[in-house]
This record gives sequence, C-alpha cells and structure tokens, in this order.
Amino acid sequence: MTTLRKCPATADTSSAAVPTVPRSRVFRDAVAAEWMKLRTLRSTYAFLASSAAATLLGMLILFLLIQSFDQATAAEQANYETADPTVVVMPFVIFFVGSIGAMSITSEFTTGSIGPGLLAVPQRRVLLGAKATTAAAVGLLGGLLFALLAFAGATLLLCDRPAPLNPWPTWTDAMPTVFCAALVVMVTSTVALGLGAVVRSTASTLVTLGGLVLVAPIFAHFLPTTWQLRFGSILLPNLTPQLAGGNHPYLLSQAGAAAVIVVYVVVALGAGALSFSRRDAS
Amino acid sequence: MIVVTELTKRYGPTPALDRLSFEVHPGVVTGFLGPNGAGKSTALRIILGLHRPTSGEALIGNRRYDRIRRPMREVGAVLDADAAHPGRTAFHHLACLARSNGIGMARVTAVLEQVGLASVAHKRVGGFSLGMRQRLGIAGALLGDPAVVLLDEPVNGLDAAGIRWIRSTLRSLAAEGRTVLLSSHLMSEMALTVDHVLIIGRGRLLEETSMAEMRDRFERDVLVRSPRADELAPILTGLGASVTATEDGALVAVGVDAPTIGDAAAAASIPIHGLTPRSAPLEDVYLEMTSEAAEYRAAAERVAQP
Repeated sequence: MTTLRKCPATADTSSAAVPTVPRSRVFRDAVAAEWMKLRTLRSTYAFLASSAAATLLGMLILFLLIQSFDQATAAEQANYETADPTVVVMPFVIFFVGSIGAMSITSEFTTGSIGPGLLAVPQRRVLLGAKATTAAAVGLLGGLLFALLAFAGATLLLCDRPAPLNPWPTWTDAMPTVFCAALVVMVTSTVALGLGAVVRSTASTLVTLGGLVLVAPIFAHFLPTTWQLRFGSILLPNLTPQLAGGNHPYLLSQAGAAAVIVVYVVVALGAGALSFSRRDAS
Repeated sequence: MIVVTELTKRYGPTPALDRLSFEVHPGVVTGFLGPNGAGKSTALRIILGLHRPTSGEALIGNRRYDRIRRPMREVGAVLDADAAHPGRTAFHHLACLARSNGIGMARVTAVLEQVGLASVAHKRVGGFSLGMRQRLGIAGALLGDPAVVLLDEPVNGLDAAGIRWIRSTLRSLAAEGRTVLLSSHLMSEMALTVDHVLIIGRGRLLEETSMAEMRDRFERDVLVRSPRADELAPILTGLGASVTATEDGALVAVGVDAPTIGDAAAAASIPIHGLTPRSAPLEDVYLEMTSEAAEYRAAAERVAQP
C-alpha cells in the first residue's frame, strides 16, 4: 500500500479520518457520477444520433407534405393537416431520449454493474434520485435541442405559407409548443427510468416504452371517437399540444395536462423507488 | 471490524443463511470458506447492503453499510468480476465510482497502476480477460484506500503471478491493521492466504478457528527417524503412544506429540535424525467438515468422498 499512500484516495482530505459529509454533498456527487456514466457510454450517443436521424426524416416528410400542398388546389389546401413536428418528429425523439433514461438503470441490471454502483452509493433512494435527476436533465436538454431543431426546420420549410398547413403565424407562436415538447420528453425520460427500475430488463423496458409512446397513439385511433379522445388525451405524446394550449382535438385543459404529467412522474418514480428499495439488488 | 449477528435469509422456504453469526477482526486475513451454495456470497451481499436479510443484522464499524455516506473510503469490495459495464473503459468505470465518493481522478490512475492495468486503462472492459476484469474489480475495491476489504472469490481467473500478487496485497493490507475478509471454496487457496477461517455450510457457521489451530487439531501422527529406532520404540510405547515401524526403518507414533518424543529421546540419549508431525491434508479435513453441508455435489464426488 506504499504506492497508495503516495496518492491519497480523498481529493480534499486525508483518508485516515473519514469526514462526515452532508447529505446534499452526497447527492451532488451521486448526480455527477451518474452524469459521467451517461457521458461515457456509446449507447447514449447512439440514442441521440437516432433522435437526430428521426428529426431529419421528419423534416423530409414535412418537405414532401409542403411540396404536395403547393401543388394542391385552394379547396384541397383548406383540408390539409398542419405541418406540426409534434406529430411527425417528437414521438420518435420522446422514445429515443426516453430510452436513455431507461438504459441508465436497466443497463446496470443487465451488465451487473448495479453492484459496484450500489457499493458506491448504497442509499438506494439517493442513487435512484441521482439517476432521475440525470435522466430528467438529459430529457430536458435533448428534448429542447431536437424540438428547437424540428420547429426551426419546419418554420424554414413553411416560410409564409398559410394555415392550416402552417400552424404558427410567427415563429414566436411556436415557442410554447417547443418548451412543452421538451417538458414531455423530460417527463418520459423519468417515467422510463421508473419503469426500468421496476422491470430491470432493457428489452422489456424499451418494448413497453415503445408501446406507450409509439404504438398506443395508433391503437387509440381504432377506438370509438369518445374513447379515442379520452384515451388519446392522456398519452404522453399527445400531452404536448394540451400543455401548450391553443387549438387541438383533445380533452384536457393546460392544468389538466399538467396534472396528468405529475401523475405519470409520481406513479413511475414511486413504483421504481419501491421496487428498487425493497428487492435484492442482483 | 465486521459483526454479523443472527443473520437469516430465506428465498421462499429455502434458508440460504440460518442464524449466521461471526466477527471479522482487523489485522488478520479472515477466510470465509464453504462449498458451493453454502451461503458465502449471500452473506457478503447482505453485509454490503445488496441483499436484504430476512432477519438479523450485519454491521461494519458499528453501522449498516447503507448508512455510510462515503462507503468507498471505508469499505472496499469485489463481489463479481463481471460487474463492470462492458461498454465503458476501465478508467471511466473507476472514475464514475470515484466521482460518487468524492475521490480524486489521480487516485484512479494510481490504482490502475497498482493492479497492472495502466496500459489498458482506456480500453473497453468488454475486451478484457477474466483475470483483467478481476484486477479491475480489485482496483475498485482499493480506490478509497479503505479500512475494510471484502473479496468474493478474488483469485478466480487470475494466473499464478496474479494469485501471488493478490495474496501479498491482502497480507500487506492486514499488516497495516485493516480488516480483510475473503471468501473461497478452495481450501488450498485459503491455507496459503488466511490467518483465521470461518467455515460455513448450508448457511450455518460450522467452524471458526485460526488456520494454525486447524492444522494442529488435525495432526495425525509423528514420523520419527533415529539410528536407534528399536530402542526408542518401547520408550514411546511407555509414554502411551501406539508405535509402528515403516519399511525404511522409521517409526510412526500416534498419541504423543513431537516435543514429548524429543524430550524422551534426549533423556535416553538416543539421537533423533528426523521428527515430523503429520496432519491430514487440509483439503481432506475441509471436505470432511463440509460433507454434510454441501448443497451441490456430483455423484462422482460423493463416491470419492472418504
């Protein structure tokens, strides 16, 4: 241990007397470690690259829609869908960025690295809290980045084309939707983390997340109209327009949509915390 | 110091640990020995807060592990060589652990040097051999320069040089006054590494003793070589020993220890050329002690069992 003594373990104090550290410092260090874990895995960048690809693909679809709009008659143009990236791009961004939140815990269970993680931070709620913080941060930043890119691209493609194709008279009108889209991505990322803490398997968690975000909205279309609206209104991707307000076909007010968001987070993280705290780690 | 009190763990109706109690003291290397399925890993996982006990408690320095805020600075542990994310580099694996406990990055470099992985520090763990992953685990355990070290089967996958390195590392850690507990199912390995041994089977403590005591207790006989063996034999018989002669003229004495034989021979002015206390091989002793408690054993092993 001579070599060890030359380079003490503690960055700021002697390891001989272990100092008592405040809980806030423990949590802050746990968050920093979780952030480092996300940054040092290729899968994080793969999911971000997939989000970028989905954004580009969405822009291509909007471009084709605009081309078609330009060639349509005035009567046909009046019945066109809006060129809203919330519908075309964001569900995929929600899934891919949300997968980063899920993988932050399921990949540790799958690879066994949850063991060293818990040996380093044995207070399970602190560890899950740190993971939730980083998942939320990645969700918010990723959601904001891709929402801004998608809306900027859509605004550039739409130029001064009229409604109903162009849902925003000016670019500033799109901003509430951009921020609400980022908020939904953030929420999905934390929900995916909670789901991962319960399910523990990467494959099962991502399939469930995909079902919730990508399949359920399609499934809702096959329900009777009343149920379609009721069920569709509480699905994660559909919360963006309801949170932003304005014109949308769904049932919830802004406050109602915000309450649903809170329920999603509380239920998912609560179930995750309960499962993570009570079950053996590996 | 590690104190385990009445630890019980059940998986359904099956008890993995059955009111297991023991203490591990600083300054010696303590071995946790038992056959496969004896409950060694379960006990270590409960001590480290990874598994929840059904009842009982395990304390390290009078605290449960999950009450320690900077655990890596107090306790270092390796439970599984395959416990690092294969997509992360060795340096980043340790850096993440270090960051969570406020340990500086210079320390990460130092332990990688110490375990001999500095040259592959920036390679992904997925490409490591079992021995390299075992060394990485040990690097993680030493990261916080802890006072307590727990290792589950640390020599698995290590080559001869690695095994010798881990032995000397554990001995030097104990010599510095640290508490060292390692588990193994290999008696031969324990005999060379540990000072004190806890033998468990079917979740119960079967034996707690020092390795020296264990050797003494299972001393079988004494081999005596003397040019005047025929004169010495009746003297030893007079001391209550059962004496037989070997083909090469030596005597095998049962029921009397080596110092008594030496004293008796000296008193009779009989020269002694060799005096060898012989024990049952520790491996045999261990198998005998754990035969009832072995959870999993192949049919061939059961036949070979004396």
